[in-house]
Parts: sequence; C-alpha cells; structure tokens
Amino acid sequence: MAVFPLKIVTPDGLIFEGPVQSVSCRSIGGQVELMARHIDYCTALGMGEAHITTADGAVRRAACMGGMLSMIGGQCRLLATTFEWAEEIDRARVEQSLARAETLLAQNDLDAEQRERAQARRRRALVRRSVAERWGA
Amino acid sequence: MIGLAASSMKAIKLRIKSVQSTMQITKAMELVASSKLRRAKERVEHSRPYFETLYETLFKIAAADVDFDSPYLARRATHRRLYIVIAGDRGLAGGYNANILKETETDAAGQEYLVLPIGKKAVEAFARKGVPLVTKEYDEAGALSVSDSFEIAELVCQRFLAGEADEIRLCFTQFASMLTQTATVLPLLPFDAPKPAPGRRSMMLYEPDSKTVFDAIIPEYLAGVIYGALCESVASEQGARRTAMDAATQNAGAMIDHLNLYYNRARQAAITREITEIVAGAGS
Repeated sequence: MAVFPLKIVTPDGLIFEGPVQSVSCRSIGGQVELMARHIDYCTALGMGEAHITTADGAVRRAACMGGMLSMIGGQCRLLATTFEWAEEIDRARVEQSLARAETLLAQNDLDAEQRERAQARRRRALVRRSVAERWGA
Repeated sequence: MIGLAASSMKAIKLRIKSVQSTMQITKAMELVASSKLRRAKERVEHSRPYFETLYETLFKIAAADVDFDSPYLARRATHRRLYIVIAGDRGLAGGYNANILKETETDAAGQEYLVLPIGKKAVEAFARKGVPLVTKEYDEAGALSVSDSFEIAELVCQRFLAGEADEIRLCFTQFASMLTQTATVLPLLPFDAPKPAPGRRSMMLYEPDSKTVFDAIIPEYLAGVIYGALCESVASEQGARRTAMDAATQNAGAMIDHLNLYYNRARQAAITREITEIVAGAGS
C-alpha cells in the first residue's frame, strides 16, 4: 500500500517520524483517517484514541489529546498537546489523576472554571485509561 | 609596632580565607548552572519544532483565508495590555532578572497594563510596584510543565475574549547562545496575520471550517509559545548565572592574588622591622 511521511510532534519533542500507510485520530468533528495522496487538509484535534499503520502494516495505538492534524503537499504532521503510545501509558498515574479529578468534582464549592478544568482532567484520564486497557501492555 | 604588623597580617589572612570560601561557592554554583544549562538547552531544542510548525500553519490559514473573522484577529483600540513576564526564581544570575523587568517597563511605558508574572522574582517585583496581577500562582518558573503553560494560555485567552485586556504580550529572555541572552517582548494577541495576496485562494480543506479550526488552534499555539518561551528563559537564566559565577570566580582569584601580595609585603616588613630592632639593640 502507498505510504506517506508522517511526523508526530509534541512540546516534549519528536515522537515519531517515518513513512506510514495511514493515520487516524479524533478531531473536533469526530474520528478521521488520512491515507496517502490525501488533498491538503487541516483540522484541530479533540481527545481520543489515535492509531497509525506503519509501512510494514503494523498498527500502533496511542492516546492523543489536543493540537492539530495537517496534510500539506503530501507531508502529514500531527501536532499534539500530549501523545502517548498505549504501551507507555502509566496506569497508576492515570488512576491517580482520575481519582484527583473525581474528588475535585465531588466538592460543591467549585466555580465554573475550576469545574471545567476538573472535568477536562477526568475526560483525559478516562481516554488514557480506555486506551491503556484495550491496547496497553 | 610588631603588634600592629602582626594584626594586619592576621586580618589579611582572614580576608584571604573568606574570599577563598566565597570562591568555592561561586565555583560550585557555576558547575551546577553548567549542568542545568545542558538539560535546559535540550528542552529548548525539543520544544522548538512543535511551536514552529504550529506557527507556520496558523500563518498559512490566516494568509490564505480572509473570509472569516475570528475574535483573535480583531484589532481593538488598546486600552489595557496584559504582559506575561517570565523571570527567574533566584538572584545571582547577572543581569538576567533586571534586564527582563526593565524591558517590560520600557515597553509598557505610558500604558495601562496588568501582568501575569512567572517566576518568583517577577511576582515580587510587580507586587512591590503595585501593578495589578492576574495571578500569583506561577511563582516557580523552573518547575512549570506543559500542562501549566496550557492553563496559562487558557487564562490569557479568556481575559482577551472577555475584553479585560486588548492586547497580550509575552516578555521572555531569548537564548541566543551560551554567552548571549536577549530580553524580548513578543506580541501574542491579536494574532498578527499577514496580508493575503489578492486573487489567490488556498486549496486547503479545513474541517469543519477554517474559522473553527483557527479558533481551536489559537489557544494551543499560545500554550506552545509560552512553553517555548519558558524553556528559553530557563536556559537563559542558567546561562546568565554561569557567566556571572564564572566572572565572580575569576574576580575572587584575582583578589586572592592581590591579598597574597599584601600579605607577603606585610610579612617582609615585619621581619625587616624585627631585624632592625635586634641590630639596634645589639649596637647600644
């Protein structure tokens, strides 16, 4: 199958660079999948599972949150706020952050902003947990 | 006479001791700064591609599509600016803290402004001056992570959209090289879009549409810039501290040489005086 170059970058550095058959992730509009020779494309990312099919047909899965996905001139770039391979997700930390979010949300004296932040934290933790449970080591 | 010479010799000896122990400290600080600098430099290099690619994409969207207007692009008459100022947590870093604070003040001269300080030195300086602060929460520049910079970006975006600030600027220290660090003021919002070339339209497919994508990416971009600036500033702080401590160590060395010379001279004088007195005593 045709391949195209993909680069996955986060603020912590380059996560992946190389030819892939396809890349799929959750955008703000829903799950999208790009394959080779896609027209120039750009979207913002939501939170969810991402997976790439590498040149040899192997599938790698990850939890991917925020950022953008763009295809310009056949070059694909995935810029994510956080991008963790399923096998590298630290489950203990996920549970911790989930518990922290739950205790925060259980309090009644939160203002709207704090509540929103805690909810976002819970959502992130849930996404990471589901990815880790389904595909993690 | 002998008593006086001896006491001055002792005083010089003490002074040498104290300068020596200062030199030990500055030397140690220099070494610590060097090793921290290495790590900070790596972090700068890791964070750069993310921010550069984001900026490029935003630039392209804004340049190619003008048929939408985003609140982030709207230029308002500036009444109040919000400065995000990144300084250090500790002193003894040469002009690092002073330079960035001075740069901010020069830029803000004659303006009504509020500040979101990052780093203990920035928090203290602006609190002392009575400038209104957005938050004092970020008083440890060295410990801030990616998620903190996202929180800061969100906070700033909210202020901007609510009209509490008409312009957002970021003050940080650019890490040009090991020896050169430049205090910089970077306008963040409203986003400075280039004028699109007439008649050209991009063939880019935006999903769901260019405005939504642009508005969703702007906070990410800000967070990326803030994180990048934070990394640069932390590296600059270590660089500045290393240079300052290197200079201090050299100065201490020169001072010790100088004091040793005085000490030897005082010793020589004391010996000469004793001999003169003995000779004088034998002669009488």
